[in-house]
Amino acid sequence: MHKFKFIFVLLYCVFSPLILRAQDAVNTAEQLIADIFEQYTAESEDAIDYETFYDELINYVQNPVNINKTSREELEHFPFLSDIQIENILSYVYRFGSLKTIYELQLIDGLDMTDIRRMLPFVSVGEGSDEKQKIYFQDLVKYGKNELFLRLDKGLETKEGYKLPLETENEESTQAAYLGNALYHSLKYRFHYKDRVLFGLTAEKDAGEQFWGTSNKGYDFYSAHVQLNRFGKFETIVLGDFRANFGQGLVLRPEFGMGKSSYVLNVTPRNSGLKKYSSTDEYNFFRGAGATVRLGEFNLSAFYSNKMIDGDTLNGSFSGIYKSGLHRTASEFNKKHTVNQQVIGGNVTFTHLNYQLGFTAVHTILNDILQPEKSVYNYFYFEGKEQTTAGLNYRLRWHKLNFFGETAMTGNGSLATLNGFSFSPLSKVSIVALHRYFSPEYETFYATAFSESSRINNESGFYLGAEVRPFARWKFSAYADSYKSFWPKFGVDAPDVGMDYLFQADFSLKRNINMFWRFRFEEKPENKSGSENTMPEVVPTRRTSLRYQLLYYFGDFSFKNLIEGNLFDKGDAVWTYGLMAYQDISYRFSKIPLKLDFRYQFFDATDYENRFYSYEKDVLYAFSIPMYYGLGSRYYLNVQYEINKHFSIWFKIAQTTYADDRESLSSGNEEISGNKKTDVRFLLKWEF
Amino acid sequence: MRKSIAFFFCLFFVCTLSSQITNIIPTSTSIAQTSVADSHNWSAFNNPAMLGNVQQSEVGIQLDNRYLIKELNTKSLQFAYTTNFVNAGLSFTHFGYSLYHEMIYGLSFARNFSNIFSMGVQFNYYSSYFISSNSYRGALLPQIGLSVKLNPNFSIGFQSFNPFQTNIQTEYTIKRISSIFSLGTEYFFSPDFLWRTQMDKEISSNYRFATAFDYQMIEQMKIKLGIYGSDYLVPCLGVGFKNGRMGADLNCELHPLLGLNTMVALKYEFGK
Repeated sequence: MHKFKFIFVLLYCVFSPLILRAQDAVNTAEQLIADIFEQYTAESEDAIDYETFYDELINYVQNPVNINKTSREELEHFPFLSDIQIENILSYVYRFGSLKTIYELQLIDGLDMTDIRRMLPFVSVGEGSDEKQKIYFQDLVKYGKNELFLRLDKGLETKEGYKLPLETENEESTQAAYLGNALYHSLKYRFHYKDRVLFGLTAEKDAGEQFWGTSNKGYDFYSAHVQLNRFGKFETIVLGDFRANFGQGLVLRPEFGMGKSSYVLNVTPRNSGLKKYSSTDEYNFFRGAGATVRLGEFNLSAFYSNKMIDGDTLNGSFSGIYKSGLHRTASEFNKKHTVNQQVIGGNVTFTHLNYQLGFTAVHTILNDILQPEKSVYNYFYFEGKEQTTAGLNYRLRWHKLNFFGETAMTGNGSLATLNGFSFSPLSKVSIVALHRYFSPEYETFYATAFSESSRINNESGFYLGAEVRPFARWKFSAYADSYKSFWPKFGVDAPDVGMDYLFQADFSLKRNINMFWRFRFEEKPENKSGSENTMPEVVPTRRTSLRYQLLYYFGDFSFKNLIEGNLFDKGDAVWTYGLMAYQDISYRFSKIPLKLDFRYQFFDATDYENRFYSYEKDVLYAFSIPMYYGLGSRYYLNVQYEINKHFSIWFKIAQTTYADDRESLSSGNEEISGNKKTDVRFLLKWEF
Repeated sequence: MRKSIAFFFCLFFVCTLSSQITNIIPTSTSIAQTSVADSHNWSAFNNPAMLGNVQQSEVGIQLDNRYLIKELNTKSLQFAYTTNFVNAGLSFTHFGYSLYHEMIYGLSFARNFSNIFSMGVQFNYYSSYFISSNSYRGALLPQIGLSVKLNPNFSIGFQSFNPFQTNIQTEYTIKRISSIFSLGTEYFFSPDFLWRTQMDKEISSNYRFATAFDYQMIEQMKIKLGIYGSDYLVPCLGVGFKNGRMGADLNCELHPLLGLNTMVALKYEFGK
């Protein structure tokens, strides 16, 4: 033990200047959160809810996790920590007792300086206060923090939908016209007292939605929540809008789970339990009440939700749930809140030292019949008014192996199961393996789990990921995923087989110079375009991409360079290419609280399949990953200014200019005449 | 360092190449069929140089099944006899069923030179039953293997099966016998944990790339994980048990289209 203490004092002396400097201006918590999120989404084309992700982590900046008192559930909130690293942290505290300083983290197996730098804003060490101490009203008033956010977005070019007349004899044109103006605005109020009492209100109007008129009187979407943590026997109480996440997500996980990303080891979803909902996604949440009670080693959760959802109803049935939350045209507005959905669910989790068992059940009732227009690809989609889904999940640690999984079944007897294990035979090597099987008939409303496609059905696959740190400053990550479907899918008219590889090499030359190379290859089938055969003709498409990113800091400047190229073969051995490069420059003024981010980006993508997604810095709570193809350039300026202790503003202007002789951008109501698209965003934050 | 990165990139580009090896050679106990540099296992009809590393005489039996179809079983038997000068091996494998079957008989010799370099040669007699003539036809095929330990933790292996591309000609057809060249590496991160890679080229097929990890979790048990890429990406999972002189291996491969391949092997080591 003395030896350990000596080592950490020595390490403290050597590394503490680095860690202190790591807290400099460029590495703020907000920047870290955005960087982590970017890593997740870099290979994803799905729209992922950044607001929830940001909210979760920023809360830990204000209320850092005490490593000496923490639990697996709490550490799971940090997506940059793998399951193995979490186990190692807990094991270290268990074996050697409380950490004396934060620098002792360096002695924990599997945590390198990059991980520790990432953790620093979110964790603390110490004895900690009584987490269940009584809360008095005057404490709430005196120490509670209030925040108000006002956000405005506008596209400067007029889109086709705003030009259409609202009242004409042409019914089609009337139905298609945007009812409101092009301004997006939202208003958010947040209150929190430590992490014990959380309260919030959200109101939002999307661009094109009417604010005041015949359709709407005020904002198009409202949301409110209250969350109370650790009140007597109650671990959590939620009222209003909330989310419920349990197990591996086969039964219940309305928010995004872990998927394939360059964090190759993080394949299990995190953040289980009931929690407030404060985002502006208008579908993926529950509205009602729920509570979690702790009884010894058992956690019991129950909730009830009753809310209106969107759908195109006709004679007591509707063909699908409309999830976009956009109500800009009369046609879209007619779908708003037409179906009542009630959800009742619960979970029981038993946690012991080395294992955990959980059971989740959810029952959904619709007041109209969900009746999809039948086609081959959606033959097995859910049809009816009521559905019950239940699942059993587990986690088990045996020697160095961590087993995890969940098996779930819907009322029609269809099965989904996901099982895997991770282990770290040496501190510098970590491996994870995961197998999943989702039958074609398995279909439930709020499932999100590890899979190739966004729907949790009709898939079987095996994933193998490994992370190796063979030398100082180097990290190699790789995964391989092989999967198949048993039934046609949308855009693929036959059962198919696909595979996906990723390899990434990260190198930290110095504390302020980091870079990585990322190679990805994916082969998946698609319908052959232009095929006139009666029989389905599915061909394998191949996409290869290579990305290099360099990040370096110099004084108050930070720079990021990225270059990416891809090749795509649509099954006819004709390769199309895409090339993209950008330069980011950020500057934080040392004497005034002002920060500027600027980017110039060039792209040349032959085809839609060569398209690029790249993360952009944005105003607070916003996260942009715009998509583009063709030939052109994009540039933006992002400004953040703290007016005083109470007020901060963000402003962003971004423009994309196409140089491939196109005369209009986008299509339908979103069509813009010309070759330029300009967006402006503004956000005001008031803390009191 | 640049060489290392270039090496990794090369491996992954190779992954993208399609390949398929069709032969009756029994799979090795090395997961993902990464036997060519596996210094701890001699698998019949794989790298004969590994016979040189065998410390004690041993006998083993093995059953491979493809896609849960009993007609696609391969049954094998192997025997190794160790001496101070050279190790000798006998092996036999049978694939198929009464109306169609193929067999190989092997006689091999190998030696380990100063624990750095091993070399082996195997003489295989391939025999196949042709129902059209109701007769067996056969051919003699050589097989050679090498293994070099570049440092205490890293070694490379090479082997070639039927390098002269010998085939069998009947009145009606030419029966082609696989001709395979394999190159692989083995790296010990620690005595308990190792990483292997392998690249195979069957002369008329594309490349196959495989990678695997072996982890000796406890003295009696190890787990094996691997993956190989050919026309399809095939994940592999296995477990190995050892209790005294007895050893057992169970490997599974999940072909995304065709299903499960399984291999069960039992081995007994004789005392000195």
